[in-house]
Amino acid sequence: MKFVIGGAYQGKIDTACEMFGLKESDMVNGSTCDFEEVFTAKCIKSYHRIIARLMAQGVSPVDFTKRLCLENSGAVIIMDEIGCGIVPVEKSERKRREETGRCGCIISSASDTVIRVICGIPVFLKGGRDED
Amino acid sequence: MITLVTGGTKCGKSGYAEKVLENFRGPKYYIATMNPVGDDADEIIARHRESRRNKNYITLECPRDVDKLDLPIGCGVLLECIGNLCANEMYVGGNIFRPSDKIISNLKSLGETASEFVIVTNEVGCDGNSYSADLMAYVSEIAHINSRIAEFADNVVECVYGIPVALKGRLV
Repeated sequence: MKFVIGGAYQGKIDTACEMFGLKESDMVNGSTCDFEEVFTAKCIKSYHRIIARLMAQGVSPVDFTKRLCLENSGAVIIMDEIGCGIVPVEKSERKRREETGRCGCIISSASDTVIRVICGIPVFLKGGRDED
Repeated sequence: MITLVTGGTKCGKSGYAEKVLENFRGPKYYIATMNPVGDDADEIIARHRESRRNKNYITLECPRDVDKLDLPIGCGVLLECIGNLCANEMYVGGNIFRPSDKIISNLKSLGETASEFVIVTNEVGCDGNSYSADLMAYVSEIAHINSRIAEFADNVVECVYGIPVALKGRLV
C-alpha cells in the first residue's frame, strides 16, 4: 500500500497523482463513497472522513481498516492528519480522533511507502522514491 | 540521554517512549501525570498499565510537582505526559497559573538525575481552532515547554501515524 498524509489542502492529491501515476478520477472520495467501494478502489482520498462515517454508523473503523489492508493491499490511501490539537470536549469527537490515529498506524504499518505532504512538498517517512 | 517524544493522538508516542527504555539496565520509573478523574481516565490508565505490564517499571503517580520526587541518580525515567502535567499545574482550585517555567526547570533537574529520561508530550497547536483565552494560554504554555525541552534534549522524535521521525538527534 501507499499512504499519503498531511494537513488539509497541503497538496496530497497532486502528490499522489504525480508519485503513483493516478488521475483524480481514479480516486473514490471518503466523504461520499459507498463503504464497499474502498475494497477495490485504486485510490481513496479523505480516508479520515470514512472513519467518521463508519463511527456514525457504529462500525469499528479499526476492523474496517484491517480488512482494507488485507483485501486492497495495492491501494493508495490519502488521509488528513487530525490528531495534533486540543482534546475535544465532546466524547464522540475524542473517540473519532483516537480511532483516526489508530487507523493511520495500521495503514502506515501495512504500507511500503508513507509520504507526508507539507506546503506541497512530499516528505518520505517510509520507503523512498527509488522504491516506487 | 534525554528524549522528547511528540506527535498527535494515538500515533505511537508511548510505544516509542517504552522502546527507548526497553534495554535500560537499572531501576526504571514511570511518572504518571494523569489526574485520575473524568470520563476517559480509567480507560486510558488501564490501557497504559497493560502496555507496561512485565516491563519492570515502578509507577509513580505524580499529577504535579515532579520536583518532589526523590529518584536515585542514574535511573531510567519515562514521564507521561506534558499535556496532563501542564493542565494539572495550570488549573488549580479555580486559579489559573502559567506553569511552563516551573515545569521546564523541574524536568531539567530530573534530566540531571536520570541517565535515560524520556518525556512524552503532545502536539496541541495544529487544529487551527480559536479557543477561549484560558485555553489558548494552555496551548502556548505547552508550546513553550516543548521548545525549551527540545533545546536541552539530545533527541526529539515526532511520531506520525506510528512512524517515528527524528527532528533532533537520532532514533532508537
